[in-house]
Amino acid sequence: MKPDPNDPAWAWALFQPDAERPWDLPLAAHLYRRAAFGGTWPELQRALSEGPQATIDKLVHPTPEAADFDRLYDDYENAAAASDGYGSQAWWLRRMIESPQPLQEQVTLFWHNHFGISNVHVKSNASLCRHTHVLRQHGLSSFEELLGAIMAEPAVWTCLGAGANGKRGLSDSSVRILMDQYTLGPGRCSDLDVREGTRALSGWIVSQGELRFVPGEYDATPKKILGQEGDFDRKALVGILAKHPATGQWLAQQLVRWFISDTAKPSESLLAPLAKQLTGGGNTAKGVEMLLRSNLFFSAEAYRQKVRSPVELALGIIRPLEGRVGTVRLAVDLAELGQELYEPPTIRGWAGGLSWLNPLTMLGRARLAEALLAESGAYEGRLDPAGVLNRHGQPAIDGIGQFLVQLYLQGDLAPETLAALHTGVSATGSADTRSANPRQLATRLASLPEFQLA
Amino acid sequence: MSKNMFRNSLAKLASLLPLLFVTLSIHGEDLPPMAQWIPADTPIMVEVSEPMALMGPLLKPEFGQSVTTALENGKTNPKLQQFEAVVAALEAQLGTDWRAGLRRLAGKGVSFCVGPSGATLLAADGEDEKLLSKLNDIIWQFASAGAGQQDQPETADSREYRGVKTWKLGTNEVHALLGPRLVLGNRMSFLHQVLDLRADAGGRTLASSAMFKAAREAVGKDAVASVFLNLQTLRETPGLKKALDEDGNPVTALLLADAKPALRSASWLALGVYVSGGKLILRTYMDGAAQVASKWTSFSTPPEAGVGPIPPLTVPGTIASMSLYRDLHAFYAAKDALFPERTSGLIFFENMMGIFFSGIDLTEGVLSEVRPDVRVVVAKQQYDPAIGTPATQVPAFAVVLRLKEPQHFGEIVEEAWQKAIGLANFTRGQKALPGLIIDKASQDGMKYTISYYRPPTERSSGTVDLRYNFRPSLARPGDYVILSSTDALARDLMDAVKQAPSTPAKVSSGANSLMEIEGPALSAILEANRENMVRKNMVDKGDPREKAENDIGVLLAALGHLDHASLTLRRDAGRPQAQLEIRFK
Repeated sequence: MKPDPNDPAWAWALFQPDAERPWDLPLAAHLYRRAAFGGTWPELQRALSEGPQATIDKLVHPTPEAADFDRLYDDYENAAAASDGYGSQAWWLRRMIESPQPLQEQVTLFWHNHFGISNVHVKSNASLCRHTHVLRQHGLSSFEELLGAIMAEPAVWTCLGAGANGKRGLSDSSVRILMDQYTLGPGRCSDLDVREGTRALSGWIVSQGELRFVPGEYDATPKKILGQEGDFDRKALVGILAKHPATGQWLAQQLVRWFISDTAKPSESLLAPLAKQLTGGGNTAKGVEMLLRSNLFFSAEAYRQKVRSPVELALGIIRPLEGRVGTVRLAVDLAELGQELYEPPTIRGWAGGLSWLNPLTMLGRARLAEALLAESGAYEGRLDPAGVLNRHGQPAIDGIGQFLVQLYLQGDLAPETLAALHTGVSATGSADTRSANPRQLATRLASLPEFQLA
Repeated sequence: MSKNMFRNSLAKLASLLPLLFVTLSIHGEDLPPMAQWIPADTPIMVEVSEPMALMGPLLKPEFGQSVTTALENGKTNPKLQQFEAVVAALEAQLGTDWRAGLRRLAGKGVSFCVGPSGATLLAADGEDEKLLSKLNDIIWQFASAGAGQQDQPETADSREYRGVKTWKLGTNEVHALLGPRLVLGNRMSFLHQVLDLRADAGGRTLASSAMFKAAREAVGKDAVASVFLNLQTLRETPGLKKALDEDGNPVTALLLADAKPALRSASWLALGVYVSGGKLILRTYMDGAAQVASKWTSFSTPPEAGVGPIPPLTVPGTIASMSLYRDLHAFYAAKDALFPERTSGLIFFENMMGIFFSGIDLTEGVLSEVRPDVRVVVAKQQYDPAIGTPATQVPAFAVVLRLKEPQHFGEIVEEAWQKAIGLANFTRGQKALPGLIIDKASQDGMKYTISYYRPPTERSSGTVDLRYNFRPSLARPGDYVILSSTDALARDLMDAVKQAPSTPAKVSSGANSLMEIEGPALSAILEANRENMVRKNMVDKGDPREKAENDIGVLLAALGHLDHASLTLRRDAGRPQAQLEIRFK
């Protein structure tokens, strides 16, 4: 009988490869695309030999060097954030490329999208940098801990509409965002809940870039929020919202959209186990781990069911080639493709999914691939497909063309596309695909519609 | 004579042959200048007739030592290790160290050109044909052995063309040996063009073109190197065309005066490189109309022939000092002719000046009060130990102007300056950022105005904010106005203007801009920002930290040998000319 992806018992069970769904290169690459922005050839080969669960162990558990790496990059980002420009965003991109714990960066990006804090409103790289540090530091902890840290962030208050000069705290409409977007999900709270929530947050203002409490401004009278009564302050409100079952459902839905599929519309019953893991005493790390280990994650419902965001597209080109590129320029190019780090377009983040694709952005994506893989130019030819083949090519893989197809697309190409791939690609003397221009081939692969899917 | 004796004599002769060959080859083929083999439409040609004179500072042992020390720090870089291994292997096989080898392979001249289609060619004239041939054999053997293998998929090929053997290594390297001359390029078709011109007399070569001849004549025979640019061709490249066509930036126009319009009308530009009195001198020449429109020259032409701007100012820790003859009133009065398109930037500038100067007409009421002596000083600064040193150290900088009627206009300037500080405070306040506190101080009985940020209440993680690089100050000693980014530099300049002559420097005719750069101070400020430069390199280029540290280390080590540099802009026979003089330690 065919497994039912809507059956929670099957969907959340540990993925066990079998003859129907063998653990192969496409699934290993799928795991690395979603959890690590893409895998290198040695990472994929190691994953194949170690199996899915052991590979996920490595992805979810910090390596010994991760703490030192984070300290160093925190310092880099902080220093760059003291100036205007793309410096700190560039360091974040580099961090995504180099981190020994890429899943942490994927989750940080998820929360950046979820909270939608934008420098358009905050107008301070330093504040946004501090905000992403909070997302990184608490992103895999319990949601209550993360929400508490977020609601202590002046950047969040400023973006939600609190005056930068201590003139005002949050309005009802801002608290509506807190409830509808950050926690409970749309339509789960009443106007009264919002008004009472606003009173719970009274007394807090942003002054000189810091969040300060003015006792005289605090409304200490009892409040009734989501059916609970008491003298609720900011901390108490955070607790009520973070522990509410609707929050678990909403976050589970968001995580499924991020890690499984842009188009998934999972039922409440399917989400329930994940929701419980997220807000019922568990934490985000366990929730993400549950997702990655699941049958659902390795099912046809998830495979190639997401459109790569510009960041995922660029890193999907860079990471498999084990290269480093100038990330200041990359930050600018990604902004032109619609994903400027530190500047989500709305408080709801980037719309994602098919909204990333239109004729203009497809052209822009192809141009970015071309620039990244060009021998010279803005990225100075830092990525070297031929060099990667020389390091890792195996006798079973005949030539650069096949190697790149395996590395970038794991063979997910229609035969006619594969046949057309070499047409017009300049060769260096031989008709053999061994000597076809690796950069041109890689550019073509990265510009294909198939490559736009994660 | 016995057969054995004959055989022994032959053997002795044979043993002497290499020596004879070397002797012959050293004094062998006297090659014509490379320009005689280059197509006439070549837009860029660089000729180094005396490489050793030019490379003198670079070949000094102490220079090599410091760069080597910097490179030592990057020993972990695999590419560097690979490069060093290749150099060491070549040194062993050629039986010479790289410096001596370089002399023997390129000591008699180096030429480089960029062809009309972007093809490039490098020609190195050596003293030792045998060494060149040996080097070629080694490289060829290596390339032939590797070609076709998995890690060396590119091709290696050798063919004869017009009686000359040519080699092709990989996709972008072609070369030929012509006696002691190595000709190295990136496209075989361009190399063939060169060999055609070499073989067929009477072809249209660069050496025969009127423009090249005129440029060479202007540069003169005493140049150790020269650069020729065919502007008629190069102006068609989109980037340069755009850069030359745009006149919208008033600051650039003020600094460069008639340089851009002259480049628009010139058909060629040449650079001569000279070595004189231990200094390296670079001087530009161009043709074109003897005079561009007066609107570009009137504001930057000193009234008296034979004099230039007043001397640049010097203070303790000077990094760079500049003195310009610029009649700001004449410049701004001609703005409608200079910048027919009123940009938003220009409109904003005028609006702000209107606010600062309380509606006084900028051209006739403000700039007419300023003498055409503009001096700019950049200097290292000392930081208040109570606050600490910012992670990024910005050098102090100041503009020094002279007023025609300081008694009357000085206070108007003071008022405008205080308004500007107030506006900056207002804008920062809107962003919840700390503002500047305005105060008065005095030096030698003279009051001046300073502004400063209050010290941080607590030092977070040892980092000091960038804003503590700035303590904007205004001083009005005599008829001078000093607008400085720090009070310390303002004080130093108050002393300096008292001692410095206010009469024009005796410089050669037509100078309008003088700039001095002090190598040690420049090195010191860059050294202070070494970590920032390393980090910038990492995110700009994508380099790993070790490589970035290495690159910056080499740059700083090389820059450490700069003692002094000076740049003069002048008008020579009505044409703009730049002269850069560099003195190494």
